[in-house]
Amino acid sequence: MSLLEIKDLRGGYGPSLVLHGISLHVNEGEIVVVLGANGAGKTTTMRAIAGLIARKGSITLDGQSIIALSPDKVVGAGIVLVPQGRGTFAKLSVEDNLRVGAATRRDRAAVKDDLERWYEVFPRLAARKRQPAGTLSGGEQQMLAIARALMNRPRLLLCDEPSLGLAPIVVREVFSLLTRINTEQKTAMLIVEQNAELALAIASRAYLLEAGTVVSEGTAESLRDSDAVRRAYLGY
Amino acid sequence: MQLFLEYLFNGISNGAIYAAIALALVMVFRGTGTINFAQGEMALFTTYIAWGLTTKNVPVILCLLIATAAGFVLGAVTERVLIRPIERKSLLATLIVLLGLFLVLNSLDGILWGNQNYTMPSLFPNAVSSFITLGGARLYWANLGLWIVLAVLVGAMFQLFNHTRLGLHMRATASNRESASLSGIPVGRILMLGWGFSAAIGAVAGVLLTPLAPDSLGVGEMFPILIQASAAALFGGLDSPGGAVIAGLLMGVAEALLSGYVSVIGGQLQEAIAFVAIVVVLLVRPQGLFGSKEVERV
Repeated sequence: MSLLEIKDLRGGYGPSLVLHGISLHVNEGEIVVVLGANGAGKTTTMRAIAGLIARKGSITLDGQSIIALSPDKVVGAGIVLVPQGRGTFAKLSVEDNLRVGAATRRDRAAVKDDLERWYEVFPRLAARKRQPAGTLSGGEQQMLAIARALMNRPRLLLCDEPSLGLAPIVVREVFSLLTRINTEQKTAMLIVEQNAELALAIASRAYLLEAGTVVSEGTAESLRDSDAVRRAYLGY
Repeated sequence: MQLFLEYLFNGISNGAIYAAIALALVMVFRGTGTINFAQGEMALFTTYIAWGLTTKNVPVILCLLIATAAGFVLGAVTERVLIRPIERKSLLATLIVLLGLFLVLNSLDGILWGNQNYTMPSLFPNAVSSFITLGGARLYWANLGLWIVLAVLVGAMFQLFNHTRLGLHMRATASNRESASLSGIPVGRILMLGWGFSAAIGAVAGVLLTPLAPDSLGVGEMFPILIQASAAALFGGLDSPGGAVIAGLLMGVAEALLSGYVSVIGGQLQEAIAFVAIVVVLLVRPQGLFGSKEVERV
């Protein structure tokens, strides 16, 4: 059984439907990437999983349906979304941002250990513990958003365009950190990305969205070699 | 010197009330994004409840506690029943609903308790002779008690904001609501608690303020205070709890000194000070003394 199983997911904003029956799955410990042009429904898919928008169809985590849960309950179930734009709590200190990430946890001592652990993995956050998070650079805020999500000890991490607005060198750093976290923590990840080449390099499988439906799926390698993906998203 | 001190003491008492109501306004503003026009009327309604109980010979301290609890429930229910279904639609709709609540509560006061004014018994000794002399000036126990209780209350609120898990979740919700729910915070419950706390603060302020002058419990009691407190909240920065408290105290003291020493202002133009303050703040520094810039859009 897959960790996350989505069948015939439909949803959108108000009366207008954006997702026209998406089916995908993520296995335990796996990195899966969702590719697609602007407006294909990538972000909407993520928001539907996280419970932020009205949706129909079926979403299960470990066989348990989560389609009716509110966003905070989805987090409680073990799925955390790092939203596009990072969702920084700008006026809160870096450390308070991380503590908010542990909102659903009651095991204080372990939360403290996790704080230390993520400061080790993200030393730039450790150096800015007491600083208001809004003063961090874009790359630092992206790292903070990922570390904040990890404070919840999610089973599945959703990342919506982690490369958005970042310098290429910072993007590579973010992706290598995601790979490291996946290897060390066995955290499964579903990543939406415009930067197809980079995303395919760290993923084991991929889906290609077009106009709210899955038009192609397979191993990262097979999608990298497919002409459709090459032409549209890799540019060679 | 004696006169100055007496003005000052009065100013601090009024200022403490403005500060408390302004803090309540800021708490709601940070969560919901609107000024709660009904804040004063909520406080008045719960003060009437406390007064009603004192006429049944319930000890004043118990009346205060019951009014505070009633305020908490009134605030929480208002958020859950009136605000939450509306606020998704628009900010303006929320404002109109709050204006409506203002009118409903005010009329309800009149229907339940009549239009005459009452004198509210004080939690503290409140006879003509219950004062201590400080630098030749009289400081009444009722004033001193009000300062202490409100200082403790405000201190407790800041402790809650800055040093508890609930406070952290309240600050996170105020900073970025969607992000808060994506972190697993039950945002609805947090907002409801915020409204509850803010109305409870108003209840305490009402029960402590009303006994300071005879015959002051009436349907028109809280409106001028809401205006002053709104000015203070705006002056301090609508999203800054600390700013609200400082500005509330400043406004109270400035008002007392100005109306004491400037005969043109006297007792008549006191309220105009608040309006002048609002206009000046909006012109010169729309984000207030301690507020952040993005509040300007309001």
